[in-house]
Amino acid sequence: MQAILDAISLGGTYALAALGLGLVFGVMRLVNFAHAELITISAYLMVVTNDLPLLLSFLLAALGAALLAIVTELAIYRRLRGTGPAIMLIASFGLSVGLQKSYELIFGALPRSAAVAPWMTGSFEFAGLNFTISSIVTVAITIAILLAMGYLIERTTLGLQLRAAATDFKTARLLGVRSNRLIGSAFAISGILAASVGFILVVENPQVDPMFGLNITILALVGIVIGGISSLRGAALGGFIVGFILSILNTYLGNARVYAYSYLFLAVVIILLVRPGGILSKRNEMERV
Amino acid sequence: MMKDVAGLTRFNARELFGPLVTVLILSIGVGAISASLQLAVQFALCNLVMVIALQVFVGNSGVLSFGHGAFAMVGAWVSGMATASERVKGNALALQELWQPLIGFRLNLYISIFVAMALGATIAALTGAFLMRLNGLAAGIATFALLGLFYNFFFNNITLGPGSQALPAVPKFQGIYEPLAMALAAIVIVYFFNISSTARSLRASREDLLAAPALGVSIQRVRWIAFTISGALAGLSGAMYVHVAGTWQVQDYYLVFTFLTLAMLVIGGSASLWGAVVGTLVVTAVGQILLLWEQGKSVVGIQLDLPNGARSLIIAGSLVGMLLWRFAGVTNGKEFSIPFSGRRKSS
Amino acid sequence: MGLLEVKDLQAGYGKVDVLFGVSFSLEAGQSLGIVGPNGAGKSTLMKAIAGEVAMKSGTVQLQGSPITGKKPEDVVRLGLSLVPEGRQIFGGLTVTENLMLGLTGRRDKSSAKQALDQVRGLFPVLNTHADYQAGMLSGGQQQQLAIARALVADPKVLLLDEPSLGLAPTVIMDVFSKLKEIIALGTSVVIVEQRAHLVTAFANKTLIIRAGKIQATLTPEDAKDEAALRRAYFGAGA
Repeated sequence: MQAILDAISLGGTYALAALGLGLVFGVMRLVNFAHAELITISAYLMVVTNDLPLLLSFLLAALGAALLAIVTELAIYRRLRGTGPAIMLIASFGLSVGLQKSYELIFGALPRSAAVAPWMTGSFEFAGLNFTISSIVTVAITIAILLAMGYLIERTTLGLQLRAAATDFKTARLLGVRSNRLIGSAFAISGILAASVGFILVVENPQVDPMFGLNITILALVGIVIGGISSLRGAALGGFIVGFILSILNTYLGNARVYAYSYLFLAVVIILLVRPGGILSKRNEMERV
Repeated sequence: MMKDVAGLTRFNARELFGPLVTVLILSIGVGAISASLQLAVQFALCNLVMVIALQVFVGNSGVLSFGHGAFAMVGAWVSGMATASERVKGNALALQELWQPLIGFRLNLYISIFVAMALGATIAALTGAFLMRLNGLAAGIATFALLGLFYNFFFNNITLGPGSQALPAVPKFQGIYEPLAMALAAIVIVYFFNISSTARSLRASREDLLAAPALGVSIQRVRWIAFTISGALAGLSGAMYVHVAGTWQVQDYYLVFTFLTLAMLVIGGSASLWGAVVGTLVVTAVGQILLLWEQGKSVVGIQLDLPNGARSLIIAGSLVGMLLWRFAGVTNGKEFSIPFSGRRKSS
Repeated sequence: MGLLEVKDLQAGYGKVDVLFGVSFSLEAGQSLGIVGPNGAGKSTLMKAIAGEVAMKSGTVQLQGSPITGKKPEDVVRLGLSLVPEGRQIFGGLTVTENLMLGLTGRRDKSSAKQALDQVRGLFPVLNTHADYQAGMLSGGQQQQLAIARALVADPKVLLLDEPSLGLAPTVIMDVFSKLKEIIALGTSVVIVEQRAHLVTAFANKTLIIRAGKIQATLTPEDAKDEAALRRAYFGAGA
């Protein structure tokens, strides 16, 4: 039971990460490797503001991540609009490395740590079984955020514009959608999502180093590819699947658990062989990227 | 108008000998200055081969690959394992669980390098068979997964290798002539591939994904061919690297290597062979200068105090800067030409 | 001073120029046709006016104010809507959601509800298929949706790029009769078509564009003269 809970918890976390990536991809066809650095900066901010009340600490982290996201958009990605996904991908890779090195210079190469939300450690009993508090809280947080995002995307004007822009940005502009504002919103929201991922991760692993957010971002990207690269639902679903599988592998592989990533990637390979466009796509669909 | 089209179309001696002579002269010239520079040249030649490998695939197809480090990893592993001394393999702490046959496994250095290329090509062929079915962006991300898979495997596996530690006592190249010869051979191979009809078909698909099949071009097939060839060259690059470094360590072929070689390709210009050469040259030179400054030395009378780690930051910044300024790279997509002047404004 | 004034418009893509100095004017309450063979620059003209394609030189004025060089999302708010070639509806969104998106460019949001009722009256399919995924509509229905979507932004000028593309003749007739109603309701219309006879008989004035330049102006009377039509369309010697 705990294993399933863990899997859902990890799946939810990865879904949030993938959703943040998917938002930006949807409006700009940009695969933002630097999203990892948004997660990392959130974790750093939470660690250095750990003496403040948790909510305030988180708000600062979310603000910081959102600001960083917007700045990267203004300074770099805006100039690369229209150059094509490959160029933007490489740029985001370069930006990611650049930010990592900046963090090294600012925070130092050695990990910073602090016990964030220590009330989340420990476990409790329910119906005769032991559960960890952190997994329950994480599941609750991710469900809450995913529901909120779902509402935002499906039922608000902003969400409608995001969905339209993800399908066909040019036509959306013809109808009056303000491209700069929309893209800025997408980046800001992705920053907030990154902060929530950063929070969840730093509770589990209080050691924050410059490469903190890298692993989950790479896997979340893989998740987006599995789930269907041009749909927000697909992104969240793909991210969830990756997190879920990873958690199950970690639990049941025992000694071979170090190979969890290898098995995961193999699973990804198989999924992509059957559905090159992603799980939510139709067979043999080649996305128009 | 035809001259503006990026990519070679038929044999032009200048376009082949330009890069060859440049690499030859610079390697010998700089390598003769000091021992540390000679080492830098050796590493640069390894990077050059990898950048050329990337150019073959990424440059011609327009599809990104972050996975070539995996082929280098494997190529380096097989060449290192086949040439490291038996005594070390049998006794080193890191290799206690090594699979018995590997201890006695021994190949001549040059043969092991060929094996490395063959292995790189094979793995590229196998993974490419499914990777090429994905569209460009998904393929790029999937290659990242490929890199991660191999890294994870080698990092944790202590039966086939030293795991997270180093395999020591790998024989090194004496001087620069061997890696230089290999690099020159790579340039020749890639040049002749780039003017082949396969490469031309591939470039057609890069320009227009929908039109190419209408010309009877099977995009998957030509991409796969380029991917396989680039896998062989990546394997070569890894094998060269392990004989320059003298040890095999899985971290050497992971993110930093991937980022650096990709940066070299982008900064030089991915559309041409000459771009690959120029990119490697520029980034290596800048990296060396930055390294000297980091160490507190002066370069041509100029001295800058750089904190450690600033080097990668500057290279990353240059990468992004180049993309903002001229995303076809320094060479702007052109092959080597004389006189080498008059940069075109990119459209 | 016409409602829409285009002067010496030059535009193209990168190094390739497509339009070499196009000028025309559209009066309020009128309809203007633009016809020409493939590659003549018709779509480019529409996109340049709407702001989607950058103009190299020339001016565009809407109701006396310049809209040259403005972004598409701003042009819409000033009263000019483009129904793009191929309709470009958002297939994954519902019909109603597509309509709602059209409201984004509407200046006066308070009268949005009336606008929606009005287009629903014009195009009943918007009611009957309100919750359908737009991608499931037929070509003709999608065309109606595309026009309705552009209309709810309350444009003074509506540009249509090849509305008859891929539609059956009866459906085309239906679309054109709806356009008549739209003009009567106060929106001036510019229609780009490859099918010259269709538009020439319909519009108050039709321009023939070929190789990036306007070659001739036709009236509905000219539509009856086949030979003159062909000459103007293909050039002398056709």
